[in-house]
Amino acid sequence: MPLDVQRIHDVPDDLLAAIDYCYAQGWTDGLPVIPPVVERVQAMLAFEGRPPQAVITSHPATGLQLTVHAAAVNAVMAGCLPEYFPVLVAAFEAMDKPDFNFHGSTASTGGSAPLLIVSGSYADDIGMNADVNLFGPGNRANATIGRATRLILRNVFQMIPGISDKSTQGNPGKYSFCIAERSRGNPWPLLCEAQGYPPGVSSVTAFAGGGFCNIENHGGSTLGQSVVVLAPEHMHILAAAGWTRHDTQSFLFAQARRPVDGMRRVGKYRQSEYDKQHDADPHALLEPGFVHRGLAPDDILITMGGGDAGGHSCFIPSWSRGRLSLMQHKPIGVCIDCD
Amino acid sequence: MQLYDPTSAGPERNLSRAAALAELEGRTIGILENGKLNAAEMLGEVASLFVARHGCIIRAVYAKSNASAPAPAETLARAAAEVDFLITGLGD
Repeated sequence: MPLDVQRIHDVPDDLLAAIDYCYAQGWTDGLPVIPPVVERVQAMLAFEGRPPQAVITSHPATGLQLTVHAAAVNAVMAGCLPEYFPVLVAAFEAMDKPDFNFHGSTASTGGSAPLLIVSGSYADDIGMNADVNLFGPGNRANATIGRATRLILRNVFQMIPGISDKSTQGNPGKYSFCIAERSRGNPWPLLCEAQGYPPGVSSVTAFAGGGFCNIENHGGSTLGQSVVVLAPEHMHILAAAGWTRHDTQSFLFAQARRPVDGMRRVGKYRQSEYDKQHDADPHALLEPGFVHRGLAPDDILITMGGGDAGGHSCFIPSWSRGRLSLMQHKPIGVCIDCD
Repeated sequence: MQLYDPTSAGPERNLSRAAALAELEGRTIGILENGKLNAAEMLGEVASLFVARHGCIIRAVYAKSNASAPAPAETLARAAAEVDFLITGLGD
């Protein structure tokens, strides 16, 4: 029996007192949590095939480990329903991949928060919001899966603000940062398909995101703006022009650039970054004398989300200006490329 | 009411600090730089003070390819074997 399964706290049989007890233990994100009673945790565990002591993620610096059991406890506290649990597990499997840089992306002054993008039918099955106000409040799955992610970072990995989480300002996504990809009316293959998963398999993508930048364009059908989560209005402008995801990625990759001289003037130019882009097998869209965003069009992930009304897409920059954290994805609830 | 504890119960690690050197005279120095702009220059300047004041010898400069990732275990093991103390730092 693993230690965390044995560690039970006996508290008075009073719900409000139990919530206060969780506060007193330092187990919350500042908001009240659902006390992780045994019965609810067991129900959460029923949605995971591995034993409770199985390890999902290990912290590369501290050695702290996330077990299935600990994930379930925090999921209960966040308010997750059991059917949300496979998404949370897959998200931490994705973040466990070395290229995600779990330590740096959760500890850095940059204030990164893991953005989770759930793609495929599983998002609909559990009632996620990919539509109006998808980044906002009101949907239990979006809110609590994202919140459980933060509670795990805090409680299991001890990413405590000011101690091990050294974000200068943080960002609101550190409370919860989880959306679904909108499939309704989406003219492009879903991310889970583009990622190569078999039909019927959904995925979750974890991205160490910086803050949220709204991009407003009510004015027309020009393509000159940089977006990551396209509003349906913008998406349909592109699709009507016959543009694919790849076309759009290529356009943005070619346009999202700064001249070397300009970057020098503001003290942001690094020869090593330029060389990394331009020296070894450079992409055909790279223009000499410019620093582009990423190494290739695939570095710009594009998905669709939001309500039908309004030309508001958003761009979420990476926490890292370099390649210190690369987005990762995993299938939900199935084992395809298990180690 | 019984609540499960939500914190980690993974294997305990020994995070105690190494004993301080009894004296610095003539000791060998390693520099672990994180790849950030000017890190090598700044740490090198710090090391040069140890050279000037205590006759230390700069033996090796170790680098991380990713500023925010932990130094690879093999890099730390090599440093431990090659130098008496290591100078590192983090900043922007």
